[in-house]
Amino acid sequence: MNDVAKIRVDGLRKEFGEVRALDDVSFEVSGQEFVSIVGPSGCGKSTLLNVLSGVEPATAGTIRITEGERRARLGYVFQSARLLPWRTVRDNLLFVQETRDAAVRERCERYLDMVGLAHTAEQFPGQLSGGMQQRVGIARAFSIEPDLLLMDEPFSHLDAITGRGLRRELHELWTRTRKTVLFVTHDVSEAVELSTRILMFAKGGRLVSDQRVDLPFPRDGSSDEVALARADLLRRFESLDLLAT
Amino acid sequence: MSDSRLARAGWRIAGYAFFLGLWQLASGTVLDDVLLPPPAAIAGEIAGIAASGELPLHFFTTVSTIAVGFAIAYVLGAAIGLLMGRSRWWEAFLGDGVMAALTTPGLVFALVTAMIFGLGNLGPVVAVIVTSFSYVTVNVVEGVRAAPSDLVHMSRAFGRTRTQLLRHVYLPFLAPYLFTAARYGFSVAWKIATLSEVIVGTAGIGFMMRRSFQEFNMTGFLAWVLIFFAFALFLERVVLQRWMRRTLAWRPEVAA
Repeated sequence: MNDVAKIRVDGLRKEFGEVRALDDVSFEVSGQEFVSIVGPSGCGKSTLLNVLSGVEPATAGTIRITEGERRARLGYVFQSARLLPWRTVRDNLLFVQETRDAAVRERCERYLDMVGLAHTAEQFPGQLSGGMQQRVGIARAFSIEPDLLLMDEPFSHLDAITGRGLRRELHELWTRTRKTVLFVTHDVSEAVELSTRILMFAKGGRLVSDQRVDLPFPRDGSSDEVALARADLLRRFESLDLLAT
Repeated sequence: MSDSRLARAGWRIAGYAFFLGLWQLASGTVLDDVLLPPPAAIAGEIAGIAASGELPLHFFTTVSTIAVGFAIAYVLGAAIGLLMGRSRWWEAFLGDGVMAALTTPGLVFALVTAMIFGLGNLGPVVAVIVTSFSYVTVNVVEGVRAAPSDLVHMSRAFGRTRTQLLRHVYLPFLAPYLFTAARYGFSVAWKIATLSEVIVGTAGIGFMMRRSFQEFNMTGFLAWVLIFFAFALFLERVVLQRWMRRTLAWRPEVAA
């Protein structure tokens, strides 16, 4: 497939004054991977996304995110939906598009439909529940047809049942589109359920483990295989002493 | 919803009936009817003013003073508010000046501009500007400080331009603050415009109030007060609130 983003991160370091948020991080991601980034709070997970997206400059190291010859287009899903409350759901999707021609409009409607919210297009975000708002946020990120999707704990603010439903939806979207995804989470079960690969960070922003998850999809978050894989991962991670700096 | 709307309209009418009734009762009993003419006399006076053809001249003199003065005050106040909200240096530079303008009684500016500009329309216009701009400024400063950094961050992440950011993020976010600024600023502007006209006006509602005062004509005086009251009420209830309801339709409490 041509629709493949490649990320190459080499010797990446990020410091905020004296505090080291990312320490000599190197990894590569090839297309169609769903990569989760896990680790304890303050290990630099969100910083990594901010640096990758260019919102924060890196202190040292190189980042290359390319799609063939051109720069890759990035889509984002944040912890909270971050919708413009004064624009309708449809206009929130249109806001992030480069053009507004018929094809783009049709695409926005299609992604709204994929998250089951086509009927809310005329509504304002304030009229939707938190879970629905987050689905609009996901539709928005997919609707620009990004080469790479960056997701920063998108389900952490939702209740367990809503979160479960959305994980399933995200997985379906990913199966249909096979976008490259970098997914930050502190929830190892979530990572096991969704990812093809898990990067583990430790305090001080060190990348300490890079694991493939070789379970067949679809994965049931409450199944024994996922529980076993999760327990196995947690044991490995514990042996890595993540909290030591 | 329409029930509660109807009920509120009923209460509003009841309020008018109550105070007009009280006024009617007090006139000629609590106060002599020369000092407190009954509502009907004022209504007759207003009709007389309208029939005499004096109304348009004085009305438009005052309204144009307010319109010109407040338009300038609004732009100036918003610009200063933007500067102060975005930069601590500008805030240090301008902050106390704005506070001084805010706390100085309008009468002071009315007198100062009267001494500088003498008789005519320029004094009232300048008085409106210096008195009302600070009300706009403080509201805009507050809005800019509360700017939604998460939405700005989102827009930048999706590669939106500065113009798009201004139009789709900052302006809609600031809209409620700008409306509040317009309401406060306007209420101050019309008070100071009339006050200033009382002192230096050669035409206008304030000027007519002064004339009524000098002739000791309470009926005429109150008639002009009520004419202005009706105008201010129209602007607030009909123009500003409708505009606001449309712009802020996304807010659940406005939509309801």
